Formats: sequence, structure tokens, C-alpha cells
Amino acid sequence: MQPVVQFDNVTKSYGKHVAVENLNLSIEAGKFVTLLGPSGCGKSTSLRMLGGFETPNSGRILLGGKDVTRVPPNKRNVNIVFQDYALFPHMSIAKNIAFGLELKGFDNQHIHRRVSELLELVQLQDYAKRLPSELSGGQRQRVALMRALAPDPEVLLLDEPLSALDAKLRQQMQIELKSIQEKTGKTFMFVTHDQEEALTMSDTIVVMNKGRIEQMGDPNTLYGRPGSVFVANFIGETNLLRSTVVGTEGDQAALNWNGVTIKAAQGGLTPKAGDHLYVVLRPEAIHCSAAEPESGNRIKGKIRQRVFKGNHTSLSVEVGDGTMLNALVHPADVSQLNGEEIWVGWKPETTTVIPDRHAHN
Amino acid sequence: MVSSNTTAGYAAGRGDAPVPKYSTGIAKVVNSALYRHTLGAAVESRIGRIILLAGVPLVWLIMLHVGPIYQMLKISLMSHYPVLPGVESHFTLDNYAIFFKESLYFTPLIKSFIFATAATAVTLVVVYPVAYYVAKVVKPEGRSKALLLLLVPFWAGELIRTFSVIMLLANRGAVNVLLREIGLIDRPIPMLYTSFSLGFGLVYLICLYMLLPLYSAIEKIPGQYLDAAADLGAGPFTRFRRIILPLSKDGIVSGCSLVFLTCIGVFATPMLLGGPNTVLFPETISGFFHGASDKWPVGAAFALIMLVTALITAGIFMRLVGGKKRSAF
Amino acid sequence: MRNMFADAPRTSLTAIYWAFLLYLLLPLTLMMAMSFKDANFVAFPIGDWTLDWYAKVMQDKQFLEACLYSVMIAAASTLAATTLGTWIAMLIVAEGIKGQVIIFALACLPAVVPGMISAISLRIFISTIDMPTGTAAIILGHTVHAVPFVVVMALTRLRSMPGNLVDAARDLGADSIVAFFRVTLPYLGPALVGGMIFCVLLSIDDFVRTFFLGGYRPTLPMLIFAKVQGGMSPEINAMATLVLVVTAAVGLYAEYMTRRARTR
Ligand SMILES: Nc1ncnc2c1ncn2[C@@H]1O[C@H](COP(=O)(O)OP(=O)(O)OP(=O)(O)O)[C@@H](O)[C@H]1O
Ligand SMILES: [Mg+2]
Repeated sequence: MQPVVQFDNVTKSYGKHVAVENLNLSIEAGKFVTLLGPSGCGKSTSLRMLGGFETPNSGRILLGGKDVTRVPPNKRNVNIVFQDYALFPHMSIAKNIAFGLELKGFDNQHIHRRVSELLELVQLQDYAKRLPSELSGGQRQRVALMRALAPDPEVLLLDEPLSALDAKLRQQMQIELKSIQEKTGKTFMFVTHDQEEALTMSDTIVVMNKGRIEQMGDPNTLYGRPGSVFVANFIGETNLLRSTVVGTEGDQAALNWNGVTIKAAQGGLTPKAGDHLYVVLRPEAIHCSAAEPESGNRIKGKIRQRVFKGNHTSLSVEVGDGTMLNALVHPADVSQLNGEEIWVGWKPETTTVIPDRHAHN
Repeated sequence: MVSSNTTAGYAAGRGDAPVPKYSTGIAKVVNSALYRHTLGAAVESRIGRIILLAGVPLVWLIMLHVGPIYQMLKISLMSHYPVLPGVESHFTLDNYAIFFKESLYFTPLIKSFIFATAATAVTLVVVYPVAYYVAKVVKPEGRSKALLLLLVPFWAGELIRTFSVIMLLANRGAVNVLLREIGLIDRPIPMLYTSFSLGFGLVYLICLYMLLPLYSAIEKIPGQYLDAAADLGAGPFTRFRRIILPLSKDGIVSGCSLVFLTCIGVFATPMLLGGPNTVLFPETISGFFHGASDKWPVGAAFALIMLVTALITAGIFMRLVGGKKRSAF
Repeated sequence: MRNMFADAPRTSLTAIYWAFLLYLLLPLTLMMAMSFKDANFVAFPIGDWTLDWYAKVMQDKQFLEACLYSVMIAAASTLAATTLGTWIAMLIVAEGIKGQVIIFALACLPAVVPGMISAISLRIFISTIDMPTGTAAIILGHTVHAVPFVVVMALTRLRSMPGNLVDAARDLGADSIVAFFRVTLPYLGPALVGGMIFCVLLSIDDFVRTFFLGGYRPTLPMLIFAKVQGGMSPEINAMATLVLVVTAAVGLYAEYMTRRARTR
């Protein structure tokens, strides 16, 4: 199937500063795709290039198979939901939503029908005549979304639309956004630097770093099998164990980590003895116990810090000489960990490995 | 569910509540052949957009903001203007030389500068405490009212304000009549048509040009600075000299420049309030443009002399007081 | 002890403020009071009061014509100045254009040139382009005078405009022209109305430019000037009072509009 959006070797620089470098990206129709990355990594720039507000220095952008690299924003069938909504302050909610429809030349009846329909979709039908300044943040957010959806764009672009909302409203909007996307079947291209938001809503996450794509995949893959140290650190909390390969056994590798031998799933790599690898060990994969576990990787440690987080407790455990591991423990299990000295254990198949790119071997 | 609701909403829209009017006309205009082939086509290209945006403004600015000054300069260097048939105009500096030869011309310019400078200084001293009062003593809620009261006379206009000064200062004006009533004088003090009435009128005319820049500069001074200084033991006078005055410098500079440049160019006030001893330069210049039109080049030269000296004076003042910042606004 | 010292400047400042206000209002009040004097010479005390002067002024054809003429010139020059000033302000805030500082300086030039010189240079200018003195020349002169104020007011408002409103309009299918008329202009709206009223007042008030650019038809200030030179009479006071009341009302409304623009 032909992708709706295609970035083809797109590079954009401001003066000497390269904001986006050799971006290659295809997006399938009807998907919720998230661009995720730290501040300044080029997410907004990519989005604005697709919206037509920036022109790439080189490369092409295709929309529905057509080259739109140099087409102005008003001639592209994509719409943006801006971070601060950018609702027209002098127009009522209904007029805001109607703006794109009016320009498409629909008649009054059609516009009215479509506006009412969209307002109902977000339960704002009673607010049609109000000005944006008379709405709450969440309501403005919904109006901005509906205004962008109204002209029926091929792709809807959202540039950190939830960042101005408070935490609770934000979670609620994440769910609402996802359900609207599913209801309308539109392709959403969403930008955020919040990994939790990305994991909650996306079909596909594109992790960006310094103007390049670091890794792309569905949330499960990115969380379970990050392809680089950057991704592992950026998505979720993680313990990275830098180890040296000793040998392989079936689909598992035997590794030396600070003098302790551990095993880990190879995760598609073919490590050789002597290679350096990182083992990605998620805090929730760790099992802490007073007694030594019978199987799997295990190591003795001392509890240095306990942080109560409601539905779980976060432990900082010192293993070996000064290395800290983060572990999540259920409230039920915490009570058994009275003493300082405990055993830390995990199953090899719950981890994955990442090659150490900086190692010289 | 969405669709059934929609139908209901639509039906209701047709029945009770009228369908709102949307601006569908815009699309008709934008999609019309005429628009698409003219403006629409123009905004498509970068060049077209730049021409649409910059064309009219640049033509206007160059033609009418620079043009008159340029023409004035050009004519000031001509021997004759308007050029009559049979008379050749040639390049000359004589028009400027005339100014330096005759004290008849020289004196009014000096007088203009003296009046403008004095009026500026008086205005500054009179208005500063008022601006300070409104900006710092009046509570924030009352500020705009306090300011608005001061703005009322401003709406009367130049000529009516000048005229009203006559009511105050004439021989049978309020001041003289009052003084005679309480027995201080027997015969009226001649105040009108003197330097005094002119100065009084000038200050009355322009004090609001001083008020607004001063007010906005003083208002910006954070209150904590004053509190901090008071904590450190600075008395009111020290606080004023060391903190308020330096921090309101921008306002002083722009207010004084504005007032000075306005005063220099005032034409009607000296003619209504001044006397034979207070012929100012604008009146001198004006003389060259009435009667024999042949004198235009001299008038142009004189106007330029005044413009340049006034701007240089204002510039020097800004440099001296304002330091590096030179912007007047 | 300290309170006494702190209060002394405060009290004297309050006194200064009210004294200054009195100084500002006294001449105008006297001028208005004199318009009710029942005698045909200007002198205090007023003595008997009458409304006859107003009746006379309201039937004075010359005065009514001057009013009409002034309003007509003000309307035309305001319209032109608002259009041009907004256009120039748009150019100054536009991205990707160089020399904005120079453009701004040029736009402000007429505001720093003293009035008399501005009038002379315009008089010379219209003669070099063979434009006769008269209505068109006055309108041109008043427009030049007003443009800098519109530019500054429009710029202030434009700079406070969220940058992506225009982007949003473009995104929804508006080209630059439509985006300007549908989004930028309405946003500027209240500030522009305030600016326009200011222009009207500037034009109605202007004497020196009109004096040099005008023909034989007098505007309001020209008429009042001629009458004052011709000899004092409470009739002039009545005229001036009428003008003052109307312009002050208009000014108050402008103040209200700009204030609303700032809070919106
Ligand atoms: N108009 C511009 N001029 C110069 N540099 C720019 C411009 N816009 C963006 N940049 C630079 O390009 C880089 C990428 O910017 P971009 O806005 O795409 O970041 P982002 O990923 O959206 O970050 P954030 O999460 O903070 O919004 C940044 O380093 C930024 O400084
Ligand atoms: Mg961004």
C-alpha cells in the first residue's frame, strides 16, 4: 500500500545548524504516528516542513504520492493543531471550525452541518457561539482539533498539543485523542517529547535525536527491544549493564558484567566473544527476594534507598562495588525485604542487548 | 450515534434556531477567475508577495516621506524657483549665505532656539513631579483615571488651546481683572503679545508631549528598587537623584526631544500670542513663501538650516543625556 | 518620624498634581465661560449670560461649511493614513525582509520634522509635481503627518499578535491576502479604530500644513485663526467651545477603544 506521507532524504538547516538531517520516513494511512525526541531534535521542523511552513534544503516530501516539497501551506491537504491552539480570538468557536470549510467553497448548509457534527463529536455543541477566550484549556484544545479536522485533511499534524494542559486533563485528552483518531480513521502525526504520551497513543513511534531517526517501531518493540542506548534511556526507566561477551548458548549470550556472569536474550544480534554489549534490564523485570532465587541471573545487593510510589515501591540496590540497580517492587513483596541485604534476580529472556557503538574491538 | 445526533442537530438547526451565516463569499472571491489571475497569482510567487507587501509602502515612503525634504534641498540650491520662462536657474549657495549676512534673519533663529529650549526646560521641571505622582504615588487602579484627566485639554487642539491662553492673559483677561479686583494693581499688566505670553502659551501647548514619555518611563521603574534603597537608608532626595532620575532617563530624553522639536516648528502660537519682539524663525521663513514667489529658494534654505540645527541640537542632547541609546521613541 | 518624612513629598506631589490639572483646565474653562457672555466684547467679569452666541454660530454658514470641510479632509486623510500606516507596519514585521530599521526610521521621519518645516517642504513638493494648493494637497499633507502614528500603533499591536495565527489561517487554506483580511486585520481592529480617531483629531487640529497647502476654502482652525486675527468676540469662544466639546468626546471614545484593545 502506498504511504500517505513520505520524507525522502530530507535535510533542513538554519545557517550552519542542521535541524533535520537525511530524514527518510514513510507513514501508512490511518496510523497514529508519533515523533518523539528531546527538545531541539527537529520534531517541529519536520512537522512544519510537512505543513509547508519550512522548505527543505534538499530532499523531497511526498503527500499521497505527490511531490509537495514546494507547495505552499494553503495548497496542501494537511492541517496542523498548534501547541498553543492558535484559535482566532475574534471568531466564535463555530466560525473557527468553519474557517477551512469556508475557504473550500462549501455552501452555508454544508458548513453548518459539518460544524455541528464536529462540535458534537467533542460535546461542545452548546459552546458554538462563544469566543475562544471564554473556553477552558481542554475545550480550546478540542476546538483546535476540530478546526484542523474540519477540512478533511489527508494527515493531521499535532505539535505537542497537550503540553499546555495539566497532568490530569492531559491523560484524559490522550485517551480522547486516540479515540477520535480511531473514530475518524485519519492519519495522525503527533509530536511530543513525553515518552509516556507516545507510548499511550501511538501505533508507531519514531524516536528522533539530533535531527536523525534513532529508531522506529510500535511501542512494544521500542520498549521491549530498544535499538540503541539513547532509545533505551529515553523510553521508560532502565538499567544498562555494560558487559563483555563470553560465549553463546542457543539464543542466549553469556556475559561478564563486573565480574559476574549473566545471561541475556540475544535479541537478533550475533555477538562474538570479546564484544561489548549493553544489557537492557527494566526495573519491573527485577525480582527482589530475601532468599537466593533458584534460577536465572542473580546477584547479592544492599538496599540503599526506598521510595514509596503508591502502587509500587522503587528500590535502589547497590550491587558489587558501587553499581546501582533500580527495581520496582510490589507493596506485597516489600514487607518481606526487611534487612538491608537482599538478592536481585531476573530472567534472561526479559532482557535484551544493545551493541556498544563506542567500543573499539 | 454520531450520525443520528447530527441529523437531529441539523433538523433542529433548520427548524427553531436559524442556521448561522458563514463567510462563504470569501471562497467565491478567491476562486473567481479575476482573483486567481491577478492577486491570487501574485501571492503564489515570492517575488509577487514581496511586491504586494513592499511596493506601495516603499513608493509612499520614498515619494512622500523623503521626497519633500529632498525637493526642499534641491530648490534651496537653485538661484530661481519657480523657473520662469526666459530665466535660467543655476546652482548656487547664495541662499544659505544670505542667512549669515543679515542679523535680521539670524536673530529669529536664535530666538526660536531660546524659546524652544526654555519651554522644554520649564516643561520638564513642571511635568516631572506630575508624571511621577501619577506613575508611582497613585494606586494602580486610579492611574488611568488620573492620566485621563490630564489628557482632556489635549483634545482641544493646538489653536483652541492657544486661543484660550488669551482669555487668561489679556488686558481684560482673568488674571488682570482678578488682580485689580483684589486691589493689587490699578492698571492691567500687559502680558499678552510679550515673551511671557508666548512662553506661557508654548508650555501650555506642549506639556502633554512631555507627560506621556515621562510617565511611561517612570512607571516602568520597579517599586522594589525604591524600597531597597530606603532600606539602605537613602532619604527621599537621595532616592530620587540616585535611582529614579537615572532610571527615567529614557523618558526625559524622548520627552525633551519631542517637546523641543515641536516647539521649534510651532507657527500659529507666536502669531497669536507673540508681539513685535517675538518674531520667531517659522514666521521669517513663512515670509519667503508669500508675496514674491521668487524667494522660495531662500525660504527652502532657511527651512533646511532650521531643520538641521534643530535635529543636531536634539541629537547632541540625546547623546549627552541618553548615552548610547539614541532612539527618540 | 520616618512617616512624616515619607508623607511630606507625597502630600506636596498630590498638591502639585491638582495644581497642574487646574493650570491645564483653567484657560479652557475661561474660554468656554466667555462664550456665554452677553456682550460683543471679550472681557471679564462676564456679567450677563446668554446663549445667543451659540444660536448665531449655528446659523453661521461659513462655520458650518468649515466644519463640513474639515470633517471631509479628516475622513479622507485618515482613511489614507490608516491604509498606508498598516501596510508599512506589515512590511516592518514581515519575515525575510532586510532593512526594517531603515524602513521604520523613514516611516517615523515626518513625526520628528518640526511642523513648520514639514509644511514648507510639502508646499514645495506639491509645486514640483504641479499639484495645485487646495483640498487634495491638504489631504496629502495630513496623511503624511498621520502615517507615523498609525505605523507605531499598528506595530505595537502586531508585535503582540501570536505568531501562529497567520500560520493557522494559511494552514486552513487561506493565501496571504485572505489571511491578512480575515485574521490580521480583525486582530488589529480595535487598535486601528483608536489610531483612526487619533488621525481624525490630528487632521481637524492641524493649522500649519493647512495654512501652507490650502486654497481659499477655510478649514476650522483656519477660520478660527482668521477670526481671532480679525478681532475678539464671544462668538469665537462659542465656536471653539463647540469644536472642543465634540473633539473631546471623540478623544474620550478613542481612549476607550485603545484601552479595550489592550485588555482584549
Ligand atoms: N527559525 C529557526 N531559525 C534557526 N534555528 C531554528 C529555527 N527553527 C528551529 N531551529 C533550530 O532547529 C533545531 C530543531 O528545532 P525544532 O523546533 O524542530 O525542535 P523540536 O524537536 O521541536 O524541539 P521542542 O521539543 O523544544 O519543540 C533546534 O536546535 C532549533 O534551535
Ligand atoms: Mg517543537
